[in-house]
Amino acid sequence: MKIQFKGMKFLSIVLIVYVILLIIETPDTLLAIEKSASILLSLLPLFLLIITITALINYFLKPKQIIKHFGKESGAKGIFYAVVGGIISHGPMYAWYGMLADMRSQGLKDGLIVTFMYARAIKLPLLPFMVDLFGLLFAIIITIYILIAAVLQGKIIDILEKSND
Amino acid sequence: MKEETLSLKKAFKKAFINFISITPMMLAVIGLVGIMQVYLSPEILATFFGYGSMTDTLVGTVAGAVSMGQGMISYVVAEGLMEQGISHYALSAFILAWVTLGVVQLPSEASIFGVRFTFYRNVLTLISTIVIAYVTVLTVGLLS
Repeated sequence: MKIQFKGMKFLSIVLIVYVILLIIETPDTLLAIEKSASILLSLLPLFLLIITITALINYFLKPKQIIKHFGKESGAKGIFYAVVGGIISHGPMYAWYGMLADMRSQGLKDGLIVTFMYARAIKLPLLPFMVDLFGLLFAIIITIYILIAAVLQGKIIDILEKSND
Repeated sequence: MKEETLSLKKAFKKAFINFISITPMMLAVIGLVGIMQVYLSPEILATFFGYGSMTDTLVGTVAGAVSMGQGMISYVVAEGLMEQGISHYALSAFILAWVTLGVVQLPSEASIFGVRFTFYRNVLTLISTIVIAYVTVLTVGLLS
């Protein structure tokens, strides 16, 4: 299987920005490099987890099953999986792009990707911080609204996709 | 049994190759996040707020969308902004936008999912974030 790298131009632009900044503002740029390296290191376990989840999905769910559970006819069950997946998924969004793109190529519908992405706004481990900062009532209400918005966004994307077909 | 083991191996290989193929994109995003964290401090962010609830909600959304990092950091920054008297409208928009929007990851998202998908998703997310931030604070005000 041949590897086709994506984002080489984007990476080149970022590298050029770094070189320019390094010349203009050396200490701050070195700090930025340090911060980026630390982010990368902290994400390594997550990358391993995502590769494992993707492999297990590929192994256990054949394209037909992905279409059944997450495709156009998946219905409420698909939405439920997308919401729960979004809530429990950890780390930055871009780390999940590969897995989502892989599942999309096998039949995952766009509406569920959008629902998954917005449901990620609910961060269970961070709920105590939200309660501490804004109060329990605020945390409950915003969580309910996020859930409604996640489902609505998915539905709207599906309607937009249909109208464009 | 042997066939299943080989399939699992193949599944891992496929997952690994797929993941490796998007590493340039992820490295670019991580590189930008590093720059943002250095050049966009909470002190700089605080200077943009304080112009009324609607404007603050919009500013909070934009500030959250351009800032990036662990979700936990958004709460630390929000706490600092709260101490400076920034409204709940702005803070809830900021925290929501931090997690759901991401200016620096837009090129990666567009490259992987397509420009149309990225445009629709981000516009919907932007609208949802502003509406949720505003309506949440209003609802909490009404209920309490």
